[in-house]
Amino acid sequence: MSRRSLNPGWLLSTPALVLLSVFFLIPLAILLPTSLRPFNSSSGIQSGWTLANYVAILSDSFYAEIMLRTIVLGVLVSAICLVLGWPIASVIARSQSRYKFILVLVVIFPLLIDVVVRSFGWIVLLSDKGIVNELLIGLGITSGPVQLIFNFVGLLIGMVHLMLPFMILILSSAIRAIPSDLEHASATLGSRPAATFLYVTIPLAMPGIVAGSILVFVLTISSMVTPRLLGGPTYRVMASTIYDEFLQLLNWPMGAALSSLLTAIVLVLVVLSGKLTQKWSPR
Amino acid sequence: MTVLDIANLHKSWGNVDVLKDLSLTVSSGEFISLLGPSGCGKTTILRIIAGLIEPDAGVVRLGGADITWKAPYYRDIGYVFQSYALFPHLSVEDNVAFGLRRRGLKGNELLLRVAHALDRVRLGHLRGRFPRELSGGQQQRVALARATVIEPKLLLLDEPLSNLDAVLRAEMGIEIKRLQRELGITTVFVTHDQVEALTMSDRICLLNHGAITQLATPEEIYTKPASTFVATFIGRSNILRAKVTAASSGRVEAVFGDQLKPILGAGVAATGEAVSFSLRQQAISLEPWSERITSNKLAGAITFATFAGSVRQYVVQLEAGPEILVEAPKSAATTYVAGDRVIASWAADDLILVQEDEVFQ
Repeated sequence: MSRRSLNPGWLLSTPALVLLSVFFLIPLAILLPTSLRPFNSSSGIQSGWTLANYVAILSDSFYAEIMLRTIVLGVLVSAICLVLGWPIASVIARSQSRYKFILVLVVIFPLLIDVVVRSFGWIVLLSDKGIVNELLIGLGITSGPVQLIFNFVGLLIGMVHLMLPFMILILSSAIRAIPSDLEHASATLGSRPAATFLYVTIPLAMPGIVAGSILVFVLTISSMVTPRLLGGPTYRVMASTIYDEFLQLLNWPMGAALSSLLTAIVLVLVVLSGKLTQKWSPR
Repeated sequence: MTVLDIANLHKSWGNVDVLKDLSLTVSSGEFISLLGPSGCGKTTILRIIAGLIEPDAGVVRLGGADITWKAPYYRDIGYVFQSYALFPHLSVEDNVAFGLRRRGLKGNELLLRVAHALDRVRLGHLRGRFPRELSGGQQQRVALARATVIEPKLLLLDEPLSNLDAVLRAEMGIEIKRLQRELGITTVFVTHDQVEALTMSDRICLLNHGAITQLATPEEIYTKPASTFVATFIGRSNILRAKVTAASSGRVEAVFGDQLKPILGAGVAATGEAVSFSLRQQAISLEPWSERITSNKLAGAITFATFAGSVRQYVVQLEAGPEILVEAPKSAATTYVAGDRVIASWAADDLILVQEDEVFQ
C-alpha cells in the first residue's frame, strides 16, 4: 500500500464505516434473502425461493392500502411541515433580534422529549373526551366529539408535530445561506415581496426545500411508534405492519419483504433528492 | 434641475449616530461621490435613498416627489451592490431581464433591450453564462447592465470597484464613467478611494462621522481642503501646526515650533492665532543644504528615503520641529539618502490654512 492511499479522512471515518456496515449492511443482507422465502402459518419459514411475498404486497388490497396510506401520509406531512415551517424558519434565519434564541429553543425543545411521551400527550389531547374535543363542543363548533385519533387525522397531527423541528432547522439554514443583498437587489429592480419570494427566495432555497421534504418524508414513512400509538392497533402504516408481521404473526418473510420495499423507496428518494439538489443548487 | 434632494437626514443604530442632519442635492446628469472612511455613513445614505433602510428623520425627494416612505420596488432606482448581488440561479441574460420582466415587458422588446444593455457593457457574447462562470469585472458589468436597463431615474453605486484588482479597477472606473455619460444618468457613487472619487466625479461629498465635511468639485476639494481631515484624506498632505505672526489679505506669516523666521502661507487668520496648514507632499521641493537659507525655506535632514516607481519618497525632519513627508518625481535632479541635510521649500499658495477637526484628532 502506498503512503498516498492512507488518506486521514478515510482513516478517521473508519469507526463510522464499520458501525454502518455492521448495523446496516449486514442486516440488509440477511433481510433480502429472508424476504424471498416461502412462509406457511402452521410450519413457519420454508426452504426454497419465491416472489410470492412481493406479489402479495402489490396485489393484495390490504397491503396495497397500507402502502398507499403510508406514502400519502409522508407526502402530506412533508407538505404541511413545509408550509407551517417556512415562516418560522425565515424569522429564525433573518431576524436580528437578540431574543431569536428563544424561538430556536421552542422549535428544538420537542426533540428533547421522548416520542412515546409526546404521542401519549396527543392521545390525551385528541381523544373523544380530550381537551380539543371538549373545546370544540364547549364553543359550540360541533355537537358531538370529532374523531381525531386512531385515524388519518390523528396520524397527520402527531407526525407533523414530530417532524416540524427537522423541517424548520433545515429550511432556516437554507434561507440563511441566501445573501439578503439578493432580495434587496430584487426589490430595487421592481419586485414586490411576492415576486421576490417566487423568483429569488424559493429558487435559491430549493436545495433546502428538497432536503427538508425528503428527510421528513423518509422519517415519516419509516416511523413506527407514533403511528402505532395514534393509529391504534387497527389503523396501520407500513412500519407498524412490519412490526406486526415480525412479532405478532411471526411471518418473517412478509415482514422482510415489506422492509425491503420500504428501504427501496427510501433509497430511491435519497438518490433522487441528491440529483435534484444538484440540479437546482445555484451554479 | 434637481433630481435627488436629501434634507436633514438622521439615522442612528442604538446610541450611535450614523447620520447627523445630512442634506444633499444632486442635479440631473450629475455624478456625485460620497467619499469617506469606513463607518462614515456613506452606504447608509445610499440604502436610505434606495429604500432598503428607513431614516429616523429627514426627507428624500426624487424628481420632486417625496419618496421617504415609499417601498423600494416603487422607487425606480438602479442599485449596484458592492457584492454585485447577481442572481446565481439565473443566466446573465435573465439577470439583466429581471427588472424588465417585473415591469411586464415581454417578447421582442424585452430581448432587444436586454441585448442592447449587454452590448453596451460588451457582454453580448456571454449572455448564456451563469454568474459564477464570470470574472469579477464581468460580474460587475452584468450588475451595471441590470441596474441601468430599467432606465432608472437615479443610479446608485455602492463601492462597485472595491472587489477588483488595481488594473481592472482603473479600467472599470473608466467604463462606469463612460456608461454614465452615455446614458446621462444621475449617479451617486459610494467609495472610500480618493483616486476613484477624484477621477470620476463631478462633485465629491466628503463625509466623516455621519456629516458632510466638504462638498465641492474634485479640483476645489484637492486645492482648497476645508479641514485637516479633508487635506489628509484627499491627496497626501502634511499637516503643520503653527502660530500666526502677521496677516494680510489672503496671506499669513507663521512660525513652526522653534523656527524664528516666519513662513508665508495662504489663508485668513488673526495674528497670534494657533493654526494648521496643509501642505501636499508633491508641492515640496528639496535642494541640497547650504549655509545661506533664503526666506520661505526650512532646513532639515532626510531620515528615510524610499523609491516607489514613478516617485521617490522622503521623510524629512525639519530643524524647526515638525517631520514632513515629501514626494519628489523620479526625474528630480538630485536624489538623497538618509542622513543628507536638505532645504525644503514650497510656494506660499501651497501652504494652505485649514480648519482643525476635533473629531479627527
